[in-house]
Amino acid sequence: MRLLVIEDEDRLSGILKSKLGDTGFTVDIARSAADASAALELINYDAAILDLGLPDGDGLAVLTAARRAGKGLPILILTARDAVEDRVAGLNAGADDYLTKPFAIAELIARIKALLRRPGGVLGMTLEAGNVRLDTVARELTIGGIPARLSRRELAILEQMMRRFGRIVPKAVLEEKLYGIDEEPDSNPIPVHIHHVRRQLETAGASLLIHTIRGVGYILAETKA
Amino acid sequence: MSRRIKSLQLRLTVELAALFFVASCLAVGGLIYSASLTAGSLADRELGLRAEDLARYVSLDENGKPRLELPPPLKEAYSAAPQQSVFAIRDTDGHLIEASTPEIGALTARWPQADTEPSYFRISKFGPSERDYSGVSIRLDSTAGPLSVLVAEASGSNQLVHTILREFVFDIAWYVPPFVALALLVAALSVRRGLLPLRAASAQASAIEPASIGLRLPEADVPAEALPLVIAVNRALDRLEQGFVIQRRFTANAAHELRTPLTIITARLDTLEGNGQLAALREEVARMNRLVEQLLCVARLDSVAPDVSSPVDLHQLAEEVVGSMAHLALGACRTIALTGADHSFLVTGNAAAIADALRNLIENALAHTATGTEVIVEVGPDGSISIQDSGPGIPAEDRPHIFERFWRGKGVRASGAGLGLAIVMEIVRAHGASITVNDCVPRGARFDLRFRTA
Repeated sequence: MRLLVIEDEDRLSGILKSKLGDTGFTVDIARSAADASAALELINYDAAILDLGLPDGDGLAVLTAARRAGKGLPILILTARDAVEDRVAGLNAGADDYLTKPFAIAELIARIKALLRRPGGVLGMTLEAGNVRLDTVARELTIGGIPARLSRRELAILEQMMRRFGRIVPKAVLEEKLYGIDEEPDSNPIPVHIHHVRRQLETAGASLLIHTIRGVGYILAETKA
Repeated sequence: MSRRIKSLQLRLTVELAALFFVASCLAVGGLIYSASLTAGSLADRELGLRAEDLARYVSLDENGKPRLELPPPLKEAYSAAPQQSVFAIRDTDGHLIEASTPEIGALTARWPQADTEPSYFRISKFGPSERDYSGVSIRLDSTAGPLSVLVAEASGSNQLVHTILREFVFDIAWYVPPFVALALLVAALSVRRGLLPLRAASAQASAIEPASIGLRLPEADVPAEALPLVIAVNRALDRLEQGFVIQRRFTANAAHELRTPLTIITARLDTLEGNGQLAALREEVARMNRLVEQLLCVARLDSVAPDVSSPVDLHQLAEEVVGSMAHLALGACRTIALTGADHSFLVTGNAAAIADALRNLIENALAHTATGTEVIVEVGPDGSISIQDSGPGIPAEDRPHIFERFWRGKGVRASGAGLGLAIVMEIVRAHGASITVNDCVPRGARFDLRFRTA
C-alpha cells in the first residue's frame, strides 16, 4: 500500500517514512504543496498524511484541489492543537481524520489503518485487534484463532469498535449502525448488546476489553498485560 | 485665560462674553463721548448765534449811547430764567452796555476785550446759585459799532446731550444685550457641534481592547485643530497593533519551533524498544509536551482575547472532550463519565477555549483521583458544568491560591507545572463565567463552572 506523507519537516517525515515502512507501507514524501499536488496527480495513493502548515502555501489548498479533482483517497491531516479553525476547515474541506501535534507514531498508524479499513478502503476486508480477527465480508470472527459466534447485531457492534480501536465510539453511532441493520424491531438497548459482546470476549479469552464511558460511549482497548 | 476651565466650550463662551462686554462698553462709551462732542459743538454754535442776536438788537439811542432793545419774546425768554442764560455786552472802551444780571456785569468788567475769534470759557460756581457756566465771548459789529458780547449758559442743564443719549439708549442700545446673547449662543452651539466628532472618537477609543486592536478613531469630520491629535493617536495604535502582531507571530513561531522537535522526540522514542528507562523517558516527554501546550495556551490567552460570543453546545462539547480524554483516563487506570442533562444546551462563549478549560480540569481531576475511581463531568440544566473527582480534595487554605500560575499544593506529586488551573481561570474570566471550588461527598474535589446561557 502506498502512502503520501506531505510534511516539510525532514526529520519528522524521515521517521514517519521508516516507521510506516516497518508497518508495511510504501511511503513517498512531499515537502511542499506543489510537490504534493504533483504527486497526487501522478500516483493513485491509498492514503495521504497532510501537514496543514506547509512552507509554500496552505495545506488546505492541497486538500481542496485533491477533492475537486475527484480523489477519494483517505486523507489524515496534522495540525497544531490550538489551531481549531484549521482543523474544522480541514474536516470541512474533506479530510477524513486529524491528529494534533505532537502525536504518537502508534496512534498515527492506528488511525491510518482505521481509515483504510473503512468501507471502500483498502483494508476493508479483515479487521484485527489484539488476538481478535473479524472478516467483515464473511462475517467470521476468530478469537485467539478459534472461531467465535456473535449475533448479527453484536458483530456489528464489535466491527464498529474494531474500526475505531482505542478511540471512543459514541453511543449514538452504535445506535445508528444497529438501526440500519434490519427492520426487525430491536427491544434490547445498546448496553445489553455490549454486555453480551463483553462476556463473549471474556469467555473466549480475547485480549480486548470494552470500556464503558458513561454518558458518552465505549472504547475497545487491549487488556493490560 | 483661566487654567482651571477645562471645557473648551465654556472657555470660549466665557472669553467671548468678556470680549462682547468690553466691546459693548467701548461702543457705548464712544457713542456717549461723540454725542457729547456733537452736543458741545451744537451748544457752542447756539451760544454764537445768541451773541449775534444780542448784537443785532444793540443800537444807538437818541443820546448817541449804545443800548440793547430786545424784542419781547427774547426778553421774556431771558428774564424767565435769569440764572440760566446770562449775557453781558460792552463797548470797545469796556463800558458795560447791558448785562442780564449785575454779577455777570461785574465779572466781565474785569475781563479783557473780546476778539473777533470766539473764545470759549467756563466759570465755576458763579452767581447766587453757584452754578457752573460755559460761554463764549466774541467781538461783533453792530449798528452801534463794535461790541464785546459775552453769552453763557448754566451747564448741567444741557438738554441736548441728554436728549441724544436718551434717544441712543432707547433706539439703539437696547438691542446690544440680545445681540450679545445671540452671538454667545451661536458660538456655544457651533463649538458644541464642532466637538461632536471628538465625542464619537472618544466613544470609539473606549471600545478599543486587545480583542479589537484593529479599531481606529474616525478621522472624518474631526475639526482641523483636533485632527493632529486623532491622527497621532491612530499612529500610536498602529504601532501598538504591530507589537501585538509581533507577539502573536512569536507565539505561533514558538509553537511551531517547540512542537516539531517534541513531535520528533516522541516519534523517535516510539521507534525504540527498551526497558523501563524508556517508559520513564516517554512519560517525561509527554509531560514536556503538555507543559509546552499549556505555556503556549497561556501566551495565547495573554496576547489575544478569545472571541467569546458564539453559541456553544455545552453538552456536545463536554461529550467530545470526555470522549477524547477517555483513553487517557483508561491508560491511567481511571475512568471518566459524563452525567446530567442528556440534551444540547447552548451557552455563549468560545468552544475551543471552553474545551481547553474542561481538558485542564479533567487532567487535573485524573491526576488527583485514586486509581480505579471515576472522574465525573456533569452538565447542569442552567449553563453549569462540574468536574468531580474522589481524590483528597482541596484544603480550604489552598483554595485562594490554586488558580495562580505555577502554584502547586504541598505534598502533591510533581506531575504538573501548576498552569492548568491558571489557564482555566483565564478562560473563565474571558467568558465572564464563574468558577467555584467545592467538596465532594464523601470525598474529593468539585469544580463548578457557570457560563452565560445563549
